[in-house]
Amino acid sequence: MTKTWIIALAASVTLALAGCGGSAPGGTSGGAGAQTGPIKIGSLHPLSGSSAADGQQLENGAKLAVEAINAAGGVKSLGGAKLELTSGDTQGKPNIGQSEAQRLIQDGAVAIVGTYMSAVSANVASVAERNQVPFVMDITGDDAILSHGYKYSFRLQPPTMRIGAESARHLAELSEQQGKPVKKVAYLHEQSAYGTSAMTGFREEAERLGITVDPVISYDPVGVSDLTTQITQVKASGADVLAVTGYYRDGVLAAKAVGSVKPGLDAVYGVADGAFDLPQFPKDAGAAGEGFFDVNYRLDLNNPETKRLADTYKQRFGDEIRTGAVLAYDAVRTIATGLEKSGSRDPKKLRDVISSGSLPSMLVGKGPVKFDATGQNVNAIPVMMQVHDGAVQVVHPKEHAEPEARPDYPAAPGS
Amino acid sequence: MTRPGGLPGLGGRGTRRNLLLIALLCAVMIPLPLVLPPAQQAVAVRVLIFALMGLGWNLMSGFGGMFSFGHAAYFGIGAYTGAWLLVERGVSPWIGMLAGAALAAAFGLLIGFLSFRYKLRGAYFALATFAFAEMLRLIATNSDLVNRAQGYNVPLIQGSSLWMLQFPLGSPGYFWVALALVAAAVAVTWLFLRSRAGRFTIAVRDDETAAESLGVSAMRYKLLTMALSAAITSVAGAFYVQYYMFVDPDLAFGANVSIQAILPAVIGGVGTLWGPVVGAVVLGPLSDVTATLLRNPPEALSMLAGRAGLDVMLYAALLIVMVLALPKGLYGTLAERRRG
Amino acid sequence: MTAEARPVVPEPRWGGRSLTAARAAAVLIALIAAVTVAYATQGQPVVVTQAVITGILTGGVYGLVAMGLTLIFGVLDIVNFAHGAFLALAMFVTFGLVAALGVHPYAALAVSVPLLFALGWVLQYGLLNRAMGGPLQNQLLITLGISLLIENALLLFLGANPRSAPLPGDRALPVLGAVADTSRVLAFAAALALAGALWLILTRTRVGTAIRAVAADPRGAEHVGVDVRRIYALTFALGTACAGAAGTLVAPFATIEPTTGQLFTIVAFVVVVLGGMGNVPGALAGGLVIGLTEQLGGVFLPGQSPMLPVFVVFVLALFLRPQGLFGGNG
Repeated sequence: MTKTWIIALAASVTLALAGCGGSAPGGTSGGAGAQTGPIKIGSLHPLSGSSAADGQQLENGAKLAVEAINAAGGVKSLGGAKLELTSGDTQGKPNIGQSEAQRLIQDGAVAIVGTYMSAVSANVASVAERNQVPFVMDITGDDAILSHGYKYSFRLQPPTMRIGAESARHLAELSEQQGKPVKKVAYLHEQSAYGTSAMTGFREEAERLGITVDPVISYDPVGVSDLTTQITQVKASGADVLAVTGYYRDGVLAAKAVGSVKPGLDAVYGVADGAFDLPQFPKDAGAAGEGFFDVNYRLDLNNPETKRLADTYKQRFGDEIRTGAVLAYDAVRTIATGLEKSGSRDPKKLRDVISSGSLPSMLVGKGPVKFDATGQNVNAIPVMMQVHDGAVQVVHPKEHAEPEARPDYPAAPGS
Repeated sequence: MTRPGGLPGLGGRGTRRNLLLIALLCAVMIPLPLVLPPAQQAVAVRVLIFALMGLGWNLMSGFGGMFSFGHAAYFGIGAYTGAWLLVERGVSPWIGMLAGAALAAAFGLLIGFLSFRYKLRGAYFALATFAFAEMLRLIATNSDLVNRAQGYNVPLIQGSSLWMLQFPLGSPGYFWVALALVAAAVAVTWLFLRSRAGRFTIAVRDDETAAESLGVSAMRYKLLTMALSAAITSVAGAFYVQYYMFVDPDLAFGANVSIQAILPAVIGGVGTLWGPVVGAVVLGPLSDVTATLLRNPPEALSMLAGRAGLDVMLYAALLIVMVLALPKGLYGTLAERRRG
Repeated sequence: MTAEARPVVPEPRWGGRSLTAARAAAVLIALIAAVTVAYATQGQPVVVTQAVITGILTGGVYGLVAMGLTLIFGVLDIVNFAHGAFLALAMFVTFGLVAALGVHPYAALAVSVPLLFALGWVLQYGLLNRAMGGPLQNQLLITLGISLLIENALLLFLGANPRSAPLPGDRALPVLGAVADTSRVLAFAAALALAGALWLILTRTRVGTAIRAVAADPRGAEHVGVDVRRIYALTFALGTACAGAAGTLVAPFATIEPTTGQLFTIVAFVVVVLGGMGNVPGALAGGLVIGLTEQLGGVFLPGQSPMLPVFVVFVLALFLRPQGLFGGNG
């Protein structure tokens, strides 16, 4: 009679142990204190699932950084110790992110790079904090991530709110320069935290500058399959410019709808948009995407080192590099420089050096990577880009613009 | 279909063996976090959360026979109630858990009442529960009351506190709390099934017309089952937030959560007491096992190392094989073999 | 326990036409009323016109996607979670042919439809037939596994980068001051044609009769000599072939990624249930109702997600008609 229970009990306990044990070959070794061998850096990104395209770019960027640093002799202050990237796939899920982060730390990672998705980063940040291991975020759109007083969280990308505000300033400046000052902006954004904070930052600054922001239209990025009605609303509102914040797929939908409706705008203006500055956007959107602006963080192609990285990336992975990959590259370099300066494998010392140091950056910015008290990189700045003849170029401000690139304004999209 | 003389999957008639088994299992599991390294402990806690969700789903859909495809609604209500009370009002997660369970049960009653009042059945009922969960997701996403799409972060406290349900990472506290919750859920399920109400619920599931002709109010017992199921699932949600320290509308109310609640019971055995637990123990670590296997593949498969997506494919293939090989679930098949 | 979970079989006789017609008329009147109110209350008529046109066109797409699903749901009782993955597969086939051979995207139908038909046949014969008659959730889990397999295979072999397969000469056609893209209008027309073709197959051919017989009573059908397993495979294959056609027709205006199909899955389930399971014309009608509700909802409630009114309407419709708006008469 009792046999079933015994079987079930045995089965479940064995499975539990096998399952748990199975995921940790040599899990008991490592520990953050290993003093010899390669120095491990954890990389956590969504390598499968709906954000896999960006996740893989970020992962590749981190990989190239480790290879470059090792090729240049590793961490010299630690006897030329090599770096080793240990990776985890979050699948975009916080519960996977949590156990993967734990696994990487347990395997001896001195720091973690990641994670692209705000919901996963929020969780990994608390794991890193409690394990006292630095967590350098390449991309994490949610500004609340740094508002918890965590000491081990750092973020390279500029805050989404700040990109929103900078976008409004750039737009006012540019339109005035070109003699067609913008009066009224319609805003179309996806409804999650990212789209909402970009819009809020933009609207506050725009209203301060005397620009009306109306109408503000939001949509659900998960299910949207057509934005024609929304663009018609924009057309009917008589706005001069349409500002957009969204992901890739909905960005292409918006571009196609603009091409069909022909809303007679001076410009379509991305604010931290996830589509308009990607290398494949001009091709996917076709003629409809020509002249689109986007204000966002950006890799600095005027920096020869960044240019080389972009070429290497293309050669190695057969794909155009995205800015995200450069952020991951910078995140790894930030950690490597921290290791170099601290001369120690201790994550706590590493954290102190990262938080105080100034480290080289490949992004367009005001200077090297430098973190404020909350862990935000203060020197990353958003720049204005525009689609010119099927390619995305940095056009403004002048000191960061690519050679010969000038903003076309008004850009009368969809005509 | 109907089994003579007792309740299916209970493994015995009116005995206290199941309670003993719960105690025994707990005794075996208690030292587990002391020997597991932290990453595997995280997997173990995930297993327990899955088990809790599965137990909730199984009560309504397995024992109650009402196929739910919207358990995310209850999970999310539990998660959001706990998070809201903690972040906005500083209330202990334990109280939040109780409040969430009450709210979820009330919401379950509402959905149940409307659905049965309008005689929704089968797939139509399932899709209606799904629609309610989606409505909650969309409302939460656009409602200032719950911080819109931003969601909530659980603030870190200094040190550890059982009252605030927060422990240092790597401490066995989380595991033990989750274990206690799962044990309680199993015990509650068992007690419910042994009670009059539980017997009537099963009678209604097996033959509603016959049960009603004997004077059993089908509506009443269906609603009771739904409320209890909702309450158990909401506890999983409340604990989830405390453990992962973050919740947003997708994590709380997304369709994936509803699927997640179904999986453990199906793999373990629908309509059996231990099925969801066994299923969670198998499924919880499965994706980690496949990921690990392909991270360090055997020599012959080394060309497959590090290819994104492959581990998920392996996971999916195993899922299919398990369902085909054990259509009644791991525990369900075992139990049946013993009986047969 | 399975008895409870089994969905109602589709209406085998196409009877009760006058009742169905009355319900269709009621739905139509409700929609017209909503549009009238929209015109009366919204300042800009062109926005409402656009919402109606977009609603009809996206509704056609929803119906198109839901058609294969409703067939599988109605006849086999399978909640097919892999439908979105089949759609994505067809889109990638279309993209591949357009990119490699430079053919017209619609020419890909010649490959995607037979390919998906074959795949559906193999899957049903090889996998799902073994689980037939089991509980609803088992088949659900198997199709979930299939969808994970297909999506991640696409990711593994073709990468995660978004792709596109534009229609040559796609442009905006002016309609009453609003616009409609050629590609979407063509997809809508194809949805009508496909619904018609399926309806003819089901009602006018021997195979269709067998399918309907199996849907109504598998044992009875077996008694009169129908090879039920073959009919199951055939039905599933027809359903996936519909997904193949839908994928190719949607490809020109979609961003093609391994997970693209998921977008449509949720809406498609709602459409299937609203239209009545197994009811092909019902799926088209349900698609139109959902499409229009989504668009008009966006106009009426600008701060909310357009899907919220869709689910509200869906639940209300279920309460009024527990078998779906155009489902059988119970």
